[in-house]
Formats: sequence, structure tokens, C-alpha cells
Amino acid sequence: MKQQQLPAFRLQLSANEILSGFFAIGLFCLGMGIILLLSAKSIREVEINYTEKCATCAKLREDATNFDKECNCSISFYLPQKMEGNVYLYYKLYGFYQNLYRYILSRSNIQLVGTDVKDVRNCAPFKTSDNGLPIAPCGAIANSMFNDTIVLLYNFNSSTHIRVPMVRTETAWWTDKYVKFQNPTFQNLSSAFAGTAKPPNWPKPVYELDEKDPGNNGFVNDDFIVWMRTAAFPNFKKLYRRLHRIGNFTEGLPAGSYSFIINYNFPVGRFQGQKAVVLSTLTWSGGSSLFLALAYLVTGAVTLLASFSMMAVHLKLKERKTFFLQ
Amino acid sequence: MFRRSFNRFCAGEEKRVGTRTVFVGNHPVSETEAYIAQKFCDNRIISSKYTLWNFLPKNLFEQFRRIANFYFLIIFLIQVTVDTPTSPITSGLPLFFVITVTAIKQGYEDWLRHRADNEVNKSTVYIIENAKRVKKESEKIKTHYAVRDTIELRTVESIDNLRAAIECEQPQSDLYKFVGRINIYSNSLEAVARSLGPENLLLKGATLKNTKKIYGVAVYTGMETKMALNYQGKSQKRSAVEKSINAFLIVYLFILLTKAAICTTLKYVWQSTPYNDEPWYNQKTQKERETWKVLKMFTDFLSFMVLFNFIIPVSMYVTVEMQKFLGSFFISWDNDFYDEEINEGALVNTSDLNEELGQVDYVFTDKTGTLTENSMEFIECCIDGHKYKGVAQETDGLSQTDGPLPYLDRADKNREELFLRALCLCHTVEVKPNDTVDGVRESSELTYMSSSPDEIALVKGAKKYGFTFVGVQNGYMRVENQRKEIEEYELLHTLNFDSVRRRMSVIVKTQSGDILLFCKGADSAVFPRVQNHEIDLIKVHVEHNAMEGYRTLCIAFKEIAPDDYERVNRQLIEAKMALQDREEKMEKVFDEIETDMHLIGATAVEDKLQDQAAETIEALHAAGLKVWVLTGDKMETAKSTCYACRLFQTNTELLELTTKTIEESERKEDRLHELLTEYRKKLLREFPKSTRSLKKAWTEHQEYGLIIDGSTLSLILNSSQDSGSNNYRSIFLQICMKCTAVLCCRMAPLQKAQIVRMVKNLKGSPITLSIGDGANDVSMILESHVGIGIKGKEGRQASRNSDYAVPKFKHLKKLLLAHGHLYYVRIAHLVQYFFYKNLCFILPQFLYQFFCGFSQQPLYDAAYLTMYNICFTSLPILAYSLLEQHINIDTLTSDPRLYMKISGNAMLQLGPFLYWTFLAAFEGTVFFFGTYFLFQTTSLDENGKVYGNWTFGTIIFTILVFTVTLKLALDTRFWTWINHLVIWGSLAFYVFFSFFWGGIIWPFLKQQRMYFIFAQMLSSVSIWLTIILLIFVSLSPEMLRIVLRSVRRRSTRNPNLELPMLLSYKHIDSGYR
Repeated sequence: MKQQQLPAFRLQLSANEILSGFFAIGLFCLGMGIILLLSAKSIREVEINYTEKCATCAKLREDATNFDKECNCSISFYLPQKMEGNVYLYYKLYGFYQNLYRYILSRSNIQLVGTDVKDVRNCAPFKTSDNGLPIAPCGAIANSMFNDTIVLLYNFNSSTHIRVPMVRTETAWWTDKYVKFQNPTFQNLSSAFAGTAKPPNWPKPVYELDEKDPGNNGFVNDDFIVWMRTAAFPNFKKLYRRLHRIGNFTEGLPAGSYSFIINYNFPVGRFQGQKAVVLSTLTWSGGSSLFLALAYLVTGAVTLLASFSMMAVHLKLKERKTFFLQ
Repeated sequence: MFRRSFNRFCAGEEKRVGTRTVFVGNHPVSETEAYIAQKFCDNRIISSKYTLWNFLPKNLFEQFRRIANFYFLIIFLIQVTVDTPTSPITSGLPLFFVITVTAIKQGYEDWLRHRADNEVNKSTVYIIENAKRVKKESEKIKTHYAVRDTIELRTVESIDNLRAAIECEQPQSDLYKFVGRINIYSNSLEAVARSLGPENLLLKGATLKNTKKIYGVAVYTGMETKMALNYQGKSQKRSAVEKSINAFLIVYLFILLTKAAICTTLKYVWQSTPYNDEPWYNQKTQKERETWKVLKMFTDFLSFMVLFNFIIPVSMYVTVEMQKFLGSFFISWDNDFYDEEINEGALVNTSDLNEELGQVDYVFTDKTGTLTENSMEFIECCIDGHKYKGVAQETDGLSQTDGPLPYLDRADKNREELFLRALCLCHTVEVKPNDTVDGVRESSELTYMSSSPDEIALVKGAKKYGFTFVGVQNGYMRVENQRKEIEEYELLHTLNFDSVRRRMSVIVKTQSGDILLFCKGADSAVFPRVQNHEIDLIKVHVEHNAMEGYRTLCIAFKEIAPDDYERVNRQLIEAKMALQDREEKMEKVFDEIETDMHLIGATAVEDKLQDQAAETIEALHAAGLKVWVLTGDKMETAKSTCYACRLFQTNTELLELTTKTIEESERKEDRLHELLTEYRKKLLREFPKSTRSLKKAWTEHQEYGLIIDGSTLSLILNSSQDSGSNNYRSIFLQICMKCTAVLCCRMAPLQKAQIVRMVKNLKGSPITLSIGDGANDVSMILESHVGIGIKGKEGRQASRNSDYAVPKFKHLKKLLLAHGHLYYVRIAHLVQYFFYKNLCFILPQFLYQFFCGFSQQPLYDAAYLTMYNICFTSLPILAYSLLEQHINIDTLTSDPRLYMKISGNAMLQLGPFLYWTFLAAFEGTVFFFGTYFLFQTTSLDENGKVYGNWTFGTIIFTILVFTVTLKLALDTRFWTWINHLVIWGSLAFYVFFSFFWGGIIWPFLKQQRMYFIFAQMLSSVSIWLTIILLIFVSLSPEMLRIVLRSVRRRSTRNPNLELPMLLSYKHIDSGYR
């Protein structure tokens, strides 16, 4: 140590080791790319942008004073191929900045974890309602929660419309649902939120988010939790529903005609945004990730190319070396 | 120990101008004159920088003068005052840490200086006060000494009775100049005036050699002593690397400001549409609405600055400080620097300059005690062309009178004895008998003393051949001959040595009444005065010896007929008595006497070079360094040493700019100008313009060496204000730069510093290193970029004022070639790496602003922002910067050319800097957009769940940490267990920390942003695949570079490449003849 003579290992790779390493990496990337490409190809995904299609509703929502007027909108589409396996329903927003600095800050984790419903310290500018009650859930994120209702109908034939069964739970992270978000402990959820006000943009208070399922109501509502996990980019998808695979839909979504019935509440026109619904199947690697597949393919190809050229140079040098020796 | 009597008194009227008058012994000279106490400064020497009181403010001020510290202070203040995305602790804590560590370090170093000062100031001296000797601490002394013409004053009492006043000039820095006058008021009221010159002045720090004590009068004290005036102010030395860091810092500061400005501008452009300015889901608070827009813009700008401030890493300064501090231990630990004689190793006084050791362009070295051991040894002599090697007989000393002399063939017995007698007689050596001596005179125990070590060596040499100089008694020189008989010679005259004649003679009268003149001197001074046919025999030997680097002297003699002697004697006495033009007259007489002599032989004396001095100089030369020898010695001695230590090679063409060459002409300046232009023309012809290739074209060209002496130098530097002076200077510098070796002789300490300063300020500001052992080298040690002290015999002043002190000159080789090289590579890599890793770190953060509406949303969690530089990536680079040996130490020392590769701050130039910056930019972009495209996928999980912005940041951060750490792993050539530990340990720690940080709901955090982010992230296969791919892609340019480099190395392995042909001095012996 003191003489700087610690036993040390000097990395001295031979040409063969380097070359074989590069070949191995190249082959691995290429193989991975092919696998990813195949799995990405197997995915079916449908995206329907309904901002334009529901123009009347959109117009209605431009004006904030119409908040109490209902507006429904139906969009039909045709599924040429069936979607096999689990099918997930997402909503997608364009131009909605969930990652604004002040927006992200505007939430109260103490409130959301159920410790103190009235803690609204960091929630500016949505701390208290006009009459001075603390808002629950407070803050800009909660206030702007996506509140369109999307129902998928399967048009079995021109007259029969079957409502596609959807599950609205298990769309959020397990840890979020069971640790990070907790309802205040009270017998009755509505009394637990007594003394608080609903967020100004919400039509109904938090304890009425899912009245049928107490395990999905209040702060632990999956839709709410999913919304609270702020998206990284202004164009984002959030998981809305999962296909409940029963009856006609055990295999997934059969091919045919469908329509979305959308209860249009969420105003996007005011920020020049757009809304879409996405239906997608998934594989082991998640959604259709053409990017990852291509990236692996390109990397693999380039690495192999580089290894070949290196080998050529190496062999050439070796040749010359023997020439020197003669 | 030396004792001096000091008299603490003085009176006078002028302060700084004119002269000062010192009254000896505090006694007023006459009753009539009113005594006015004059204030002189006390005898305290201060080399420390701080006192207890001013330490805190002064040190803080100095520290905040550093750009970086000031910058961090600003950032900290912004964070405190403005609402920013990151907490003030993230920059305040590290800043506080850096400031404290540096303050402690500097405080400790200053404390050491205080201690050293005290050591000097508290040394005991004796002062005569009212006829008593009083012990005092040295700092209480008040002014300083001079004695002359007071031979009768030998006791305390007599000194006390002395009534005298000394008038002398005000303190001056020139060591070799002193003008004064002493007025002695003996019993009669009339004053006897004697002149005082430099020979009467004892300098502070001088050591008495031939006497135990000396009485003196203090003339100058403390900071007014000539030695102290020759000290330079201690200014903080900064290394070239630090300057590069500052340059990079400014570049990065510029990048930072640009980024912040871009973001602020774009933010307001973006916000110009109302739905972006305030979308319904993100309404402004009341306060925000009310804030004045310009102020808001300004705070936005500051916020962006704070957000991106990590691009300039505060932790780099901590790491650099630690690296320097810990790294310097390697020098003091190094066993190769351990010297058994003094039982000490190297000493590191400052750790700031480690890397500067790898950047040296010019080496300035003292000669005596540095290059040489400062001890002379008689090597051989030749008598009438017969060579006598004088080494073999030491086994049985003198008794071996008739023993076999190791001569090749033997000269005539008479000539031999004559030669040896000449050696015994022609000198000014004094004999100091041993204390125990009485009666039996053991001649082997005689101690010889002389101002010139050469003479001692010669006398000792003669002793080896059986002729012993026993001493002078009553004007008779006594010599014991080979037959152990005492021969007595009456010493008639000594014709002293002077540098113009370059010879000395004695005239003695033998017992038989013959009058003989013995002369010894430099060959050039003697040969013209002897018979031609004698020269040829000797000349070969003399030239050979000179080539070997020995100091040669020729011995000649002449018999003077009694009549002639009468005349000579008369002339000599006349000349000595002359009051006007005494020197000229003496010279003329000497010149007449020393003619028509007979050459007997020549001697060769070796000023023993330090062990491996020649090899070291050769290595330094081969490493592309220019070695300048700065010495106070006379030219011939210095020159021969330079030959001996291979500074000048046999094929080096010497250009001389000395008093000798210049004084041939009447108008010195004209002659100087002539010479300068002539030399320049010569050199320019040789090296057409390409200064750059000088190092490379080492071998193809004729080598030039320059010799210049002090007076010529001052002529060049100080020559009057007329237009020519600047011209001289630049021509001179041009010449200097083209010469591989320069010898400057007859230098005053300040002149040494002047030369160093001059070279330091050359174009391209080369890095200078000074090495010396004595107090007279201190100023040059302080002036140069790196000062090295030799822990030599001449006290500790040099080593105390140096930056590094080593026991021997030879240690310079390893210090520069191995330690310096490694330190430089390490720290350069450290600096580049730090900027690289922080650019990688911050670039995604910057890019993210384009996707979050320029709202200053941080990409990474606050914990990651803070810990990135402190924990995750700090230790591997620290370990690297301490342990890396990209090339073996042995290879480094054995192949000096490797040193050239890093010269001129090569690793911190624009090229490498751009490479690192582009690499960082590339990697940052890959991280960000790779992950960005990944996030366009519907879901990253098979169960369809979605990830948020914090996951996005964490993926990037994970890739980042792994990439920069693995990049370092790729750069590491020297894998010790420590490297393994810290590299893999850091990565493991990162993973562990992330799990831990995300595993708990932290009660003290407002936001539980990171809760389970990391674990959830790792549950996704796509994210795994992305992380692996992006790490590989980011590292691929680096891997490719490494592979290509090794290919290139393999292909350029050319069998014809060898060390530049610098003739090793071992071969020169056989090459001659």
C-alpha cells in the first residue's frame, strides 16, 4: 500500500477475448431484438381519439359553468381481429402536463395515507374550499382527476349490444393501494371525511368514487391512485379498466363491431389537449415495444459489424507481424 | 553552535535612506553628542501567513476568492432566498465541509510554519551587556555584527570597553555587497576609520567553521537581514491543473448560465399562450399572480441555475483536496526516498502541487550540495606525462612510503618529489591540530582547513604519496617527506588566487637557500607561461580529465635567482603597499613573475557528484526537461561539474555569455549585443522556427548549452532603459529556449529567483521546478512553481521553505518521472471524469425541462441529487485517483520519454476536454431519449400497470450510475482489491440504498415520491432490458476507443524505436582516445 505496490490485476485482454466478447454481445442483442420484435408483433392495440368525435361535448366543456350538465358520446369502431388474452383499457391524454413542478408538489401525502384528513399544507392552490373547509383529497393533482366514464359495448349484431365486462380494480400498484394510500380509519367512510370539502372540480366527494365496492372507495380507489401517480410526459396513458374474461370474452375480445359510450366530463379543449381510449393486449415484456426491439436489433447488428471489421484488422495485422519476423 | 555578541543599540537620524549608524555596545561615542535612540526592527523572522486573530477572516477571504467556493456560496444563498426545486442543504452542507476541511489543512500548515519560525527565533545567543555575557533568545536581539581590525579585542571586557560606531548602508538584498565604515574611538578622541566590506559581514544563518566564537555587532536584524530580504513573500502556489480546473469551471459555468437562460426564455415563450401559462388544472396561487413579472423571470432564472448547479460539482473540490492530501503520503512513504545517512525520507510540505511534478518543463538546480556532495576528492595526477592513479593506498596510509604506487610508468624520482612538494606548498590551507595533540604529532589526524575544498583535496592527495603538509610555523611551511623527515620552507610570498588570473603561486625558500616559485592554476592560465614542449605531454591528460568532469589544475615551478628575487620582492612589496590602483599593480607584478615556468604535472580533483546525479540529469533530459544549473560558484568549477553530470555532453556546443567573453571589448553592451545576435542567428539556423518539435528533434540537431554569469545577466536584465534593453531580453530568452542546457554561475540568490521568474513568464508559461539545499536557494525555491529542497548539510532552511524535500538529488528522477507522472494522470483523469459524470447527470435533467413545460421539475429525487456525487460515484474515482498506475512505476522510471506524453498539461487540453464533454453529452442524450422512447410504450409490465415521472427519473439515474461507474472501470488499468471494493461496492450500495429509500414511508418527508419506485421498476422485464442496452450503448464508444488504441499500439510497435541517443557517460570513457 505505502509503496503503491498492492497486488493488482492489470486487465490485459487478448484479441481473441475481445473479439469473442464482442461477438457474444452482438449475437445476444440480435437474438433479443428478434424475440422482442416477435412479441411486439403479437400485440394488438387499438387507439381511438375521441376529442374530435365528441365535438359537441367538447364544446360544452369549454365553458366551465356547464359543469353540471351531462354529456354522453358514442363512438363505434370495428375490430378486424380478435384480441386474445388479457385486454387492458387505457385512457390517453395529449398535452396534459402532469409533470409541472408546482402541480406535482400540490398534494398531501399525510392526508392520503389517512393519518390526518385535514392536513392540506402543501396543497396550494387547492387547500380549502370557498367556505374554508379543507379539501380532501386536496391539491391540484387530485382536483384535476380524469373523470370521464368509458363503457365498452360489444355490438353482437345490429340490435344486441353487450356491455363488455370490465374490472376496475388492480389497476394501481399494490404498494400504493395498500400502503401509500389509506382511508382514515372510521366505521363509515363518509363520516371519516366529515369536515372536509370535495375538490372544486369533482362532481361528488371522494367517498362516493365507488359506492359499490368499499375496498375501492375513498383514497384507495384505483382510478384515483392511478391518477395520483403523475405521468412523466404530457402525452400519457393511464390504465382504466381490465377485461373481465367471462362469457363471450373468456378468450379476450372477439373480432367485431364495438362502441365506446363516453360520459364526457374532462375538459381538454381548454388547454388544446386531446383524449383517446386505447385497447391493448400485453405480453411478457409489456406493451408493444417496437422501440426496444429495434434498438436491440440495431445494436446487435452494429456490434457484429464492428466485430467483423475488428477481426479483419486483427488478422491483417497478424499477417504483417509475421512478415516483420521474416 | 556559534555565539556572537550583539549589541543592542543604535542611534541615527535617517530611517530608510542613506546610512544607518550603529553604536557598538550601546555606548554613546562622545559625551557631547546627545544620544537618540533609534528604532530598528527586532530580530524576529516571520514566514507564517496567519496569526490566531486574523486566521478566520483572512482564510475565509482567501478561500472565497476561489471561483468555485464563491460560486457555491452564491448558489447556497439563492437556495436560501428563492423558492427552488432543491433544498439549500444540498449545496450548503458540502460547501461547509469543503471550507472547513481546507481551513483545517491550511491552519495546520501555517501552524507548522509558526513552529519553524519559533525554532529559529528562540535559539539562544549571547549578548554582552555591561561586560557580562547574557543568554537571550534570538528574537530579542536588535541589530547585527561586524568585526575588523580589532584583533586585540578577545575578551568580554575589552569588547565592552570598545567605543565605536558603525556606519553602513540601509538594508539591501544583495548578499555580496556591503558598504560600511567603522569609527573606533580609542583613548584618544580621534576616531580611527576602517572600511567594512562584504568580507566583514556575517550573514544570518551563517555557521562558524574555524573558530568557536566570534564577537560581533548586530547591524541588521530580523526581517531586515540580508537573508530575510532575500526571502520572497510566501504566496500560495497553484498548480497548472488547478488553473485548468478553473478554466473548465468557467466553461461549465457558461454552459450552466446558457442552459438556465435557454430554459427561462423558452419558459416564457411557452407561457405566452394562456392555456400553457395557467391551465385549469394548475392554477396559480395568489402570491404568484401578484409577483412582478420581471422579478419572476429573474427568480425563474435563478431556480434553473440551482436546478442545474450540480453540473459544477462541489464534491470535486472535496475529492481533489482529499486526493492531494492522501496522495502526498505516497511520497513521504516511499522507501526509495529513504536515505540511511540522515535516517529520513522525503518530506511533503504542501500537497497542492503533487500533479505539478508531472508537468515540469524547466528544472533549476543548485550545484554545490545538490548536484555534488560538496566534498572534493583527489583522483589522479600526472607528472611529466606519467599518470598516477591515487586510490589504492588507503589501506595502510602513510607508513607505506615505498609501497608500489599505482602508476603506469614512473617519472623521474626528482620530478616526482618536486611535484609533490609543490602540492604541499602551493596553497593557503591551514592546519588545525587535533585537540588532544601534544608532543606526538600524528600527522594522519591533522585537519586541514581552507576556503577552497579543492586545496584540501590536493594536500590530502599529496599525503597519499607520502608528502604531508604539517603546518606553518613562524613563516616556515613544514612538510614531512616520504622518508618521514620534516622539510622546512620559508614562505616568502603568496600570490593569491583570483578569478582573472585563475592561478596562484607561492614563493618559498628551501633549506638549502634556493628560491622557488610554485604555481598552480587552470590549464589555460598556466600553459601560455611554460615551455611549449612540456605542454604536449600534460595536455592530453588534462583534457582527458576535464572530459571526465574532474577539476584539473596544472602545476608549474620556477627557480628564481637571488638577484631576481630581490627585484621581485621589492616590486611585490611596493605593489602591496600601494594605496591607489593596488589591484592593477599587483596584477602586473604577478604577471611578470609567473613567466618562464616549467610545467611539472597536473592534478585531477573530483568534486564528488552525488550518487546517480548524472543518470538523473540524463533521465531528465530524455524526459524533455530543460535543466538549468544556477550556482554561486565560479564558471570553471561549475562547467566541469556540468560536464561531469552530463548536463553538457562532449558534443554540446557551448555558447558563453560571461564577463570574460564580454570584457574583451570596450563597450560591454555592444559586445553583448553582438554576441546575442550571433548566437541567435546560429540557433535559428539550427532550429528553423519549429519550437514545438524541439523536444522530438532532440537527437538530430547539434545540442547547445549556454553559460552565463551573474554580472552579464544583470547587464541583460537591467541594462538601462534605452530601447535596446527589451530587445536584449527577448533575444536572450530566445537563445535560452533553444538551448538544452543552461549554466548560470556567480548568481546571487535573488538573481536565481529572477531567472526563475523570467522563465516562468515565458510564452506558454512553462512549469518550473527549483531544487536546492541551502539558504541561498530559498528564494528560487519559493519563486518557482515547484520548489524542492535537499535535506543537505547546509541546514534546513531550504527543505523548510520547499514544497517537497528529498534527501538526495537522485530522488528527483523518481519524484518526477514516476510520482509526478502518476499524480498528473490521476488528477487530470479525476477532473475530467468529474465534469463528465456531472454533465451526464444534469443533461437529462435539462432535456426533461422541454417535456415538463420548463417548470423546473427535477428529474431525479432529491436524495439522488444529493447522494449522486457524495456517495454513489465518489469513492471509485477517489480510489482510482489514488491508486491508478496506468503504466508501471518501473516502466515510468526506466523510460523517461513517457514523461513527454503528459507535458504541457496534455490531458487537460481542449482536445481531451471536448472528448469527455461530447462523451458526456452523448451518454446523457442516450439515457434520456432511450428511456423516453421506452416510455412511449403502452405498458412496461405484463399486468398493464403504468409508471410515472419518478420511475422515469429513476431508470435514467440507474443507467447513469452504472454507466459512469463502469466507464471508470474501463479506464482503470490497475485493479487492486480497493478498486474492486469501491467500484462494485458503490454499485451495490446504490442498489441497496434505492431499495431502502423506497422501502419505507419516511415520516419526515413531505412527499413519498420514491416509495417502492425502485422495486417496482425492477419487476419489469422491459426496463431491465432497456437499462442493459443503454449502458452498453453508452459505453460502446469508450470500448471501441480502447480496442482501437490497443490495435494501434500493436501496429506501431516498431523494432527500430529506441531511446534518444544521449550518450551515456559510461561509454564516453572508451569512446575517447
